[in-house]
Amino acid sequence: MISLVYEIKEETGKDGRKVYRIDREHLLELMGDLKKEGYDHLSLISSVDFRDRIEVVYHLEKSSDNFSIIVVKTETRDTHVPSVTSLWESANWDEREQYDMMGIIFDGHPDLRRILLPEGWIGYPLRKDYDMSKVQYVNMDEEGNDYVSFDPGDGW
Amino acid sequence: MESDLTHKYIELNMGPQHPSTHGVLRLKLTLDGETVKKVEPVIGYLHRNAEKICELDFYCDALIYFDRMDYVGAMNMEVGYLEAAEKLLNIEPPERVKWIRVIMAELNRIASHLVWAGAFGLDLGMLTPFFYVFEEREKVLNLFTEICGSRQETNYMSIGGVYQDFNDKIIYRIKEFLDEFPKKLEEIYNLFVKNDVFISRTKNIGILEPEVALSYGVTGPMLRASGVPYDVRKDEPYLVYDKVNFTVPISRKKDVLARFIVRFEEMRQSVKIVKQALEKLPDGPYFNPKARKSLMIRLRGEGDVFARTESTKGEFGVYIVGDGSVKPYRVHVRSPAFKNLSVLPYLSRDVLIADMVAISGSIDLVFGEVDR
Repeated sequence: MISLVYEIKEETGKDGRKVYRIDREHLLELMGDLKKEGYDHLSLISSVDFRDRIEVVYHLEKSSDNFSIIVVKTETRDTHVPSVTSLWESANWDEREQYDMMGIIFDGHPDLRRILLPEGWIGYPLRKDYDMSKVQYVNMDEEGNDYVSFDPGDGW
Repeated sequence: MESDLTHKYIELNMGPQHPSTHGVLRLKLTLDGETVKKVEPVIGYLHRNAEKICELDFYCDALIYFDRMDYVGAMNMEVGYLEAAEKLLNIEPPERVKWIRVIMAELNRIASHLVWAGAFGLDLGMLTPFFYVFEEREKVLNLFTEICGSRQETNYMSIGGVYQDFNDKIIYRIKEFLDEFPKKLEEIYNLFVKNDVFISRTKNIGILEPEVALSYGVTGPMLRASGVPYDVRKDEPYLVYDKVNFTVPISRKKDVLARFIVRFEEMRQSVKIVKQALEKLPDGPYFNPKARKSLMIRLRGEGDVFARTESTKGEFGVYIVGDGSVKPYRVHVRSPAFKNLSVLPYLSRDVLIADMVAISGSIDLVFGEVDR
């Protein structure tokens, strides 16, 4: 059972799924308890940019109970969220993707690098304030690594 | 590891342009002779950020970007997006549409698994089955051309309906295909499993324990080959999958061969599902009048919805957040191939390069979906 040392707000989502809202200080404790309860499959980590805050959404599945889903939501105003890679291996690539696209920094992640975009990309594309009018070009620097700049002629 | 052993290990790049990486996967290998010590997949070469593009368009327009994610299983992508979008927009498709979608999704599953089998054979050096599977796949794609006018990126479904209704001729053609397909499928199956080289290249290679698979988020035929009977069609039925009779094939052997056998058994089950669906196909409208063409761009949705479906690769999830306007506020896609690929470094420790190719082939990678 979930211990009550922290406060969770329970609600029902539009699709009828159970949603737990938790502040990020207690996120790891709640996730650890859910894992012990049998939620052994982290389906996905997604995030939504509400301009003043970023909401991080976890969908967990319980393999012993027909993979029923529980949703955990937390929010951050300074883009820092604790990492859950110690609990589920799949969080590794998921968190890298969210870092890449939304710029969320997962504290405690072993290898937080961009995964889909080249290293050195300027800005986080899924943020609402991302400037899509500026084109970025991926070139090569002298050592053969990806080099990103706004100037198509820049680079090796 | 680097300091005293650098003379021993060789670093090698495999891909992005390599025949056995199924598109544009780059693998950074650390080799000891011919044994793989470490592998690091580098992805993103086909990245288009479909999630951002979806935010710029109306709900109905986002569909075509889903076609282009898993381009060999486009029907399943459309079903996945529409499951989420219709829940968010409160639009219920008519009964006939649900059955039509099941038929199309299952025919597409057959086509996708056939392509996988052909490409997997090529990875292992078997050229002959490739021609056999593409002949059969072409028949499915010809059916698609007749029904919706295009082969792969069909854009057949729309919110609350489908683009065109089935007529008697189509139903006759599908039945004709289903009658002769099982025989051909056995022929293709035997081409693989009666080949000793194929068996020795796949048996006991790439053993994936169920606990590890769950922890890495692996789903689909890969997870079922590890002995976990997880299929969204059974565990959380969508469309009308609770009204058709089929079994979820699993295997307890956990290796590459098990994944092959599970996929072939799934094709046999798909034939069974389509046959039942054709029998039960009810009459009625083929679109919901609330989402007819003139109203489609005025649909508004609020709240957040997560819908999961069983695509050809595994659990395909779509998370949509609406803010009450005519465009989605945020779309996030759970791509099964992306998660399945993340287990490759775990599976390819201390295996030969040739075995690693067999393992990466057994994942069923489509890079439109991994990179999105």
